[in-house]
Amino acid sequence: MQNSAPAPLPPPAPGRVGYDFIIEADRLGKSYGPQRALADVTANVPPGTIGLLGPNGAGKSTFIKCLLNLETPTTGSARVLGRDIRTESRASRERIGYSPERDCHISGLAGCEYVTYCGQLSGMPLRLARQRTHEILDLVGMGQERYRPVDTYSTGMKQRVKLAQALVHDPEIVFLDEPTNGLDPSGREHILKLIGSLRRDLGISVVMCSHLLRDIERVCDRVIIIGHGRLLEHDTIANLKNRHRRVVEIAPAGERERFVAVLAAAGARAVTLSNGKLRVESASDSIEWILQLMRAHRLPPAEIVANPDALHELFLKSIAENHGSQPQP
Amino acid sequence: MEASPSLDLSRWREAPQGVGYRRRVIALAGLRQLLRTRLFRVLLGFAWFGGVMIATGGFVFSQAVASGGWLESIATKLGPRAEAVVAAISGLVTLYPDICVRGVFTLLFWGHSFLGLWLSLVALTTLVPSLITRDRASHALVVYLSRPLTSADYLLGKLGTIVGVLLLVWTGPLLLGWVLSMLFATDRDFVVYSFGPLVRALTFNGIALVVLSAISLGVSALGRTPRLTMVVWICLWSVFGVMAAQPRAPEWILRLSYTQNLGQVRQEVFRLDDALTAAGTQLPVFDQQFKNNLATAGKRAESTDFAGALGALGVFFVGASFVFLRRLRPE
Repeated sequence: MQNSAPAPLPPPAPGRVGYDFIIEADRLGKSYGPQRALADVTANVPPGTIGLLGPNGAGKSTFIKCLLNLETPTTGSARVLGRDIRTESRASRERIGYSPERDCHISGLAGCEYVTYCGQLSGMPLRLARQRTHEILDLVGMGQERYRPVDTYSTGMKQRVKLAQALVHDPEIVFLDEPTNGLDPSGREHILKLIGSLRRDLGISVVMCSHLLRDIERVCDRVIIIGHGRLLEHDTIANLKNRHRRVVEIAPAGERERFVAVLAAAGARAVTLSNGKLRVESASDSIEWILQLMRAHRLPPAEIVANPDALHELFLKSIAENHGSQPQP
Repeated sequence: MEASPSLDLSRWREAPQGVGYRRRVIALAGLRQLLRTRLFRVLLGFAWFGGVMIATGGFVFSQAVASGGWLESIATKLGPRAEAVVAAISGLVTLYPDICVRGVFTLLFWGHSFLGLWLSLVALTTLVPSLITRDRASHALVVYLSRPLTSADYLLGKLGTIVGVLLLVWTGPLLLGWVLSMLFATDRDFVVYSFGPLVRALTFNGIALVVLSAISLGVSALGRTPRLTMVVWICLWSVFGVMAAQPRAPEWILRLSYTQNLGQVRQEVFRLDDALTAAGTQLPVFDQQFKNNLATAGKRAESTDFAGALGALGVFFVGASFVFLRRLRPE
């Protein structure tokens, strides 16, 4: 464990338009007295939609808070969008949006006033802040409720207004801590689609912290797994899946027994799951060999999902592998 | 299943406004919220009425002593005795403008300082819970500190709100009263000799502003519920104030009451005792009894423990600053 502060990161290249890395953390650490919440996290994160995974108390929120300067790191250094979080504290947060997990609002303000105010706090002129506020509130799916005080909002509406305040100033990177908590299924679907399109349509990088691995898998192209305050995995989802044992889930429309027999004859042992689906280990990522078998044996149609829980299994594996390596105080 | 949300948004790629703008936004938002309350609007009405009263007082005084003014005209109609009284007063002001003008305006501003301080304290009672307490309760500090703002910016913004309140209920009416009364003054002497009392009034206003800002920020940061904040604020203001007003109150109670301490500072800054003593000793028209009365009144208006009061206010300032700096962390 290294406690000494490392050499500062080199200054960003002058006149750079884009960023090679949106986050550059170098042995970033945070301790609360003897308790070490974050230990020597080093990561260079390129732009994209990044999922931040980890069990409760793993240090995900501490990592985000350190990057936002809401917590002062005790060791190491970091840059966000090329700016050092310590020496350029204000500037490093100019183009960042943050939607925390906990409810946070300014009491007494209506939804649209609150979002406008947040835009102004980020340095937007009033007129522009008002215009963007209404566009963003439309985007997150808020109607006339925007004119009601935020204190009266339901959990789902508070979640939407939190997302709106994080996006109102057109940030280049947005940190979302459990953005779908408390949303009903259609609201969750809407917000996930929105998050997915932020990078694609607007070029906004997203760092999304969630316990719902399927949400992460669905919208993110890269994953960071943190456990016991340490960075356990950092790679693209595609690469992580390639490292994982290949599994295919098949939900046949009928003739389940014939499916099992054909697969067994082909050398693939199928396990019947409690939901009736068949789980088969595959030698490759491709499901072409299953389709060929189905065509050859005239099997009925089936829903086939490759690597359905890859992220889940990888997550559990990473946590289990690193279980014995908790950072010592 | 819903369609993908349309991301047809206006983009904002301009350089953000400076930190001064963001602090101003915080300050103005606080004021705007306060202006929505009826009580504050009523207080504003009283405060500006006080300013108009200063202007009226100054106007009546300047007109009263001006040669050819409306008071002289009325006195002429009332007969030779009234005319003589008015002429005598005019003569005194002409001969001793430093004592008369300074004395009258010191008295006016001294009186107004009671109204200004009281209205400020009432206004702060409505403001204090919404300063930091509500932000702490609704975890709003994260909203501020995750943006390009530091805790110092947040504090300066909130301080701006308090300063705005005090300017609106105290300093503004004071200045308005003086300016209006000077606009109708008949002589340059009124401007020259009322300027000293104005500076003293503004000095006391400034000291009260610094102390009240620190205390209200400290009290607001202390509690997480508006009720607790209100109770602490009212205790500090009223309960200790009433206890300190008792004739035999022990010294530590006097020190605990910032209103009592501000009262001592007021006596020292305004030096009403000097004005009364100067009038008694230098103006030639008063008989001995009246001079004695003025001297007694001056004695009563003297500050008895200015250094102790200032020290206690300093302790309040440091203590309150310590509290709000400690509590200002996102939770």
